[in-house]
Amino acid sequence: MPETTQFGGNNNNSNDDGTLKPETILLARYQIEGQLGGGGQGAVYQARDLNFPEARRLVAIKEMHITASDPALRAEALKTFQREANILATLNHPAIPRIYDFFERDTRAYLVQEYINGRDLEAILHKTKTLPLKKIIEWAIDLCDVLHYLHSHEPEPIIFRDMKPANIMIDSLGKVRLIDFGIAKVFVKDLPQTMIGTEGYSAPEQYKGKANPASDIYSLGATLHHVITRKDPRLEPPFSFSERPLKDYNEEAKDGLQAVIGKALEFDISKRYNSLAEMKEDLESLRYGTQSRDIAMPASGGRSEGSNGSSSEGGDFFSDGDEIGGRVKPLWTFKTEDEIRSSPTVYKNVVLVGSYDSNMWAVNLETGDMIWKRNTDAGIASSPVVDDEMQQVLFGSEDYTYYAIDVRDGRMNWSHTTGDKIRSSGTLAHGHIFFGSDDGKLYALLANNGRLMWEFEVGVPIRSQPCATADRIIFGADDGEIIGLELNGQRKWSFRTRRSVMSSPVVDRDDVAYVGSMDGYLYAIDAGNGYSQWRFRTLGPIISSAALDNAENVYVGSGDGNLYCVNAQSGRERWKFDTGAPIISSPRIHEDVIYFGSTDGTFYALDAKKGKELWSFQAGGEITSTPYIAGNVILFGSLDRTLYALPLIGT
Amino acid sequence: MDFFRRLLNNPEDDFSEDNAEANANMDDKYKTAELSDEPNGNTQGENDEDLTPTAPLDDAVFTSHDDLDTLPQKPADFDERVPNRSIETGQLSELKDSDVYVPPEPPGVTRPLPQAPILQNHQGHLVYGQASDTGMVRNNNQDSVLSFFFGSDSVEDLPDFGMFIIADGMGGHSDGELASALTARLVLGDIFKSIYFPMLNDDDMDSDRPTITEALIEAIKMANIRVRDKVEDGGTTFTGAVVLGNQAYIGHVGDSRAYLIQQDGIEQLTRDHSVVQRLIELDQLTPEEAETHEQRNVLYRAVGQNEDVEVDILRRRLPPNAYILICSDGLWGMVSDDDMLNIVLNTDDPQEACDKLIALANTNGGTDNISVLILKLPSS
Repeated sequence: MPETTQFGGNNNNSNDDGTLKPETILLARYQIEGQLGGGGQGAVYQARDLNFPEARRLVAIKEMHITASDPALRAEALKTFQREANILATLNHPAIPRIYDFFERDTRAYLVQEYINGRDLEAILHKTKTLPLKKIIEWAIDLCDVLHYLHSHEPEPIIFRDMKPANIMIDSLGKVRLIDFGIAKVFVKDLPQTMIGTEGYSAPEQYKGKANPASDIYSLGATLHHVITRKDPRLEPPFSFSERPLKDYNEEAKDGLQAVIGKALEFDISKRYNSLAEMKEDLESLRYGTQSRDIAMPASGGRSEGSNGSSSEGGDFFSDGDEIGGRVKPLWTFKTEDEIRSSPTVYKNVVLVGSYDSNMWAVNLETGDMIWKRNTDAGIASSPVVDDEMQQVLFGSEDYTYYAIDVRDGRMNWSHTTGDKIRSSGTLAHGHIFFGSDDGKLYALLANNGRLMWEFEVGVPIRSQPCATADRIIFGADDGEIIGLELNGQRKWSFRTRRSVMSSPVVDRDDVAYVGSMDGYLYAIDAGNGYSQWRFRTLGPIISSAALDNAENVYVGSGDGNLYCVNAQSGRERWKFDTGAPIISSPRIHEDVIYFGSTDGTFYALDAKKGKELWSFQAGGEITSTPYIAGNVILFGSLDRTLYALPLIGT
Repeated sequence: MDFFRRLLNNPEDDFSEDNAEANANMDDKYKTAELSDEPNGNTQGENDEDLTPTAPLDDAVFTSHDDLDTLPQKPADFDERVPNRSIETGQLSELKDSDVYVPPEPPGVTRPLPQAPILQNHQGHLVYGQASDTGMVRNNNQDSVLSFFFGSDSVEDLPDFGMFIIADGMGGHSDGELASALTARLVLGDIFKSIYFPMLNDDDMDSDRPTITEALIEAIKMANIRVRDKVEDGGTTFTGAVVLGNQAYIGHVGDSRAYLIQQDGIEQLTRDHSVVQRLIELDQLTPEEAETHEQRNVLYRAVGQNEDVEVDILRRRLPPNAYILICSDGLWGMVSDDDMLNIVLNTDDPQEACDKLIALANTNGGTDNISVLILKLPSS
């Protein structure tokens, strides 16, 4: 450390680093035996009090450098030191070491205090893996007590200022003792330069140079948070305790304890405990299991400080999820003759849905009455696409054929037969319909007459719905490849995942394609050149296609049963929601609500920001169909053969 | 004229074979067009090979634009057609003369041949400048700036690749500069291994390779370990952008910054990992208070500080004609966002802009080391 140069070399009692050598005797009374610790401002020594020649009476001597070179500042600093030392000497509390003496020598000031046989809490944290929560609460109560004692000091409260594990000794009896009163700070004068490291435990107002009893409450909360979670706040962003709920790190920590710590850690002084006596009372009621009075619980979601806006809009309406969920009644349902695996779509007032009964069904959006049905020669597993311009609906069937049907009456405009079953849904773009077939080819047909413009051979079934951008067609294949074609059908790039890609790529405005693979990863790939930007691991195959919102979030369901919300820039998880059964249905976002079905047979509506359930609806079978939202109606099919129309709640 | 318009509008064209020849011809004309004495009036061929980072490629273009600016402008109501791309062939449609506005020649004016179309092709790649200065107060420069750029014009159509890093070291003795230099170098080396060389080797793209984000995070984490190991008392910030095609990936730790600058404004992309920034985000401090706060230089995250380091990653699509500016706090602490914006937008050459920004930071006090990198993105 550079400070060592501050010490003039005329004192042969010192080591090279400026600390006192063992055997040095101060004031002809205190014989240095060794160093207990060394802070930035000076060392703490273990010394023997020679006034008691017969007994080995130990003292701790704290040494502080006075770095101010200006004589007036020096004198001022010494005066402050004397004043504070005098105050400390009058204190009388079992958790405060007694002050025996203080004096100055050369450029240093010394404080002689009771020697505590024990270990500081920081060292204990390093040495142990866990500490019994009961013990922590005991210490917390004692710390409240001693801090309250200091705060009650007359005429002026004493602010400890520097509550942290390193300043708490646990003595040989297992009792807490406070050491290192903030007195050393009098001498500190840092030059402004870029530094690393924060105080970690300090309250926000202390960064403005203000310290008051409430600051000690915050720091005690921070200290306890560290001890309970074992997440060192100096290694985390400042004031981020609320992002680390106790129970995420310590299963024993109950909501009651979270509430106490959370209240101590409020940014707003007025929301913290008024006094440590109050905090002590709450801790005692936790310790003895008696809830003497209500502990204000922080708002759910764990973020106790600051904001109150996030849950307001629509939040009240949804506040009781179960009740609303119980109240969701379909506007109508429509029964087909076999499973509905694919997704419905809507043209004007007509809902179109394919069923495994081999029919494309057209149903009235308002009444749920059938308008027409069009039979194919095998089950329909792909989702229909509406061509507004031609007023036709386009879809593939397992009878190998892709159909264009007049949406008004169900008459066929054209059809195109491939070499195998068609399970890929089509995508309409640039006047073309793009779809894959189990025959291993991707087809580009003119939408208005079905003329084949080009085909691209992969050699393995293509079940993924292609995604079309301004200059790319991107799709996945059964061998795990994700392929980017130019609009004329020339391969531009490919990226290989470890398993089949059944999900449809989704491309955002930054030209990034998000694709899930059966290998369990969601990939973010540069749509222009195929470079993978990030991947996000889930624990089950991904069949569900991703959905994007305007706030750079990607949502995707996984075979592990979770719906994930992932940051689109970094690929980091924002939240997940467990349905308990594989999710095949792709999520749909509408006004900050995520809608999707799960193979547990439940249809979910989640708050997109937090991933909390707003309501749910139980269908009669697994839901693999992606919901479609038309006006105030949510449409989806289920393997119970039924097409459901639910009211869009909250809009 | 037609030929050059097509050249301008048709990115499919490359400069092998016929086009190269045509260009050579054009270069001759260019030279006779009274601009040949311009010191930076490089020919096409020279520029293609010139990857020197600090060399401005286009002084001549822009000085000549001054002339053109006084010429009649395209009427607002003129319907300028953009060529359509055919879905069958992938080719662009031909444009007819009437599709492109041709300003009428003012009588009696001699002006250079229209270079813009030719030189536009140079702007298919980014150009950049970089500078670092000790400042007015300190004795040593603890900042490190590192740049690498690869741009290819060939049938293979390889994307541009670049890595641009600023690291601001801290620590006693010479530990700060060692930490920043080591970090910048190690990260670049790792990115070479994980992204650049595989691209040159045309390795298969598959999920066995790390993604760009993973590669960048891993490189910074590895540098963190090495700095702790080798430079005990040193630490550093790190703000580095990997450019691949038209996407930028920025890895960030500390309080150096990356900005995106466009005609309509300047946007800070990174978030300072400083205590005061955190206080601002939590509404506990106003930005004005932060400027004079005594702890404004205190970071809560840096490379070389702890066993592990959390890295912020952002990804941005690079808009045409935009700029990326990366700098240490010696610049943003001394020069306002508005001044950065004005200098960058009003200086054609990014190197000159870097020099101007450093000069301004020194004029304003220069209390810290000042480093800046400016990437000027191509128009298409």
